[in-house]
Amino acid sequence: MTCEDFQLRLTAYSLGELDQDELQAARGHVAGCDDCASRALLDRQLTALLRASVVPAPAETRAAVLTAVRAEARGTTAAPARGPARRRHWVALAAALLAAAAVVAAALLVVPAPNPASPLAAAWHSYHTQGKNGLGTPSEAEADRLFAVLGPASRTPDLAAFGLRKDGWAARDLAGHLAAVAEYRDGEGGRVTLMRWRGDLPPMPNGSGDELAAYRWGRHTSYWWRDDGVVWCLVGTIDQERLYRIAEHLGGESEAGEPG
Amino acid sequence: MDLEGFEAATVPHMNVLYDAAVRLAGDHATAQDLTQETYLRALRSFDTFQPGSNSRAWLLRIQYNLFCTQYRRGRRMPVMWLDEGEADPSLDLPSHEPGPEEQIVRELDREAVRRAIARLPEDFRMAVTLVDIHGLSCAEAATVMGVPRGTILSRLHRARRRLEAILMPELGRVQADDL
Repeated sequence: MTCEDFQLRLTAYSLGELDQDELQAARGHVAGCDDCASRALLDRQLTALLRASVVPAPAETRAAVLTAVRAEARGTTAAPARGPARRRHWVALAAALLAAAAVVAAALLVVPAPNPASPLAAAWHSYHTQGKNGLGTPSEAEADRLFAVLGPASRTPDLAAFGLRKDGWAARDLAGHLAAVAEYRDGEGGRVTLMRWRGDLPPMPNGSGDELAAYRWGRHTSYWWRDDGVVWCLVGTIDQERLYRIAEHLGGESEAGEPG
Repeated sequence: MDLEGFEAATVPHMNVLYDAAVRLAGDHATAQDLTQETYLRALRSFDTFQPGSNSRAWLLRIQYNLFCTQYRRGRRMPVMWLDEGEADPSLDLPSHEPGPEEQIVRELDREAVRRAIARLPEDFRMAVTLVDIHGLSCAEAATVMGVPRGTILSRLHRARRRLEAILMPELGRVQADDL
């Protein structure tokens, strides 16, 4: 084997992909050629460098994948639900929500941007441009108006059980809809925004037309549902599983008519 | 639905799937979406999986097909590796006792290596990811990518020569300092 022959086979040699005859010939050549021995050593070092660059899945990714997989599995093997009818309704919808979250998340790269005039676009715009530094408190008149329009849904739920502290609330106009908006923060820089307004769920890109939907954009996940004529929109940067549990909590409470 | 069996066969490979997804997609959010959708597709077709066969290669093939058909959409990299100040602390390697190979490279700049890999053309990058980084055989990588084994070897050879040129200072440091 010449040096040229060896160097043509260098990658296969380093990876153990040579057949037995070629391997013996290559080993014989390396044993007597310092240059090719150095090349082989360099190639092994390259492999070591490459293997050390592995990027492990973040905990957030592992949780999101497992949640989606288990929801999908539940959806295909769902046992008859038990418990109060209203709660059963929510749990079934929540399972659908998670499955939808997975599908919508995967479809993100190909969906068109929402109609700029829709409440969906207004809610995203509001989330991205306002409240990043927290909100204050609406005036008494604004609070009264919000309560008149939204009823108990206008109140800011307590999410301390999910590690979130309130960071103010406000009245806001979302594409012509008066909305109650509450901001929350966790201790690790995570942000959650809850918006509620009276109306219909906005059409979702690639949506199924179901009452409950999930929509995701990069690291921002949102859950949407409608109860008693009020649209609830929960958006956040915290991990998807925790946000889902909050959505389940709020959905259960909103169905029971008990503000948090 | 054998969820327990599915998780036992697939969850141990999630780091591999995510790593390959990051190298294909170039950013964390898309990589997470791609990994999640890969698992959902695998779950739906788990009844066709042959117990005892290579579940890692099976998952990687699903993921690569998914990327080619639904995510790439004409994009040919090079991707940028978490550029624009988007460095993600969650991407830090976990601390663990280094093996002999890692001891050699422990001081080297892993980020430089990742960037060098990200600069490769997609076909080369995927071959390097599957074989060099995750230890698939060339035959397994050929199955994942749907090309002949010789094509994988050729891509690897050319990719490694490019990487060698880019990373020569790092390799030289290994040689000078650690050997």
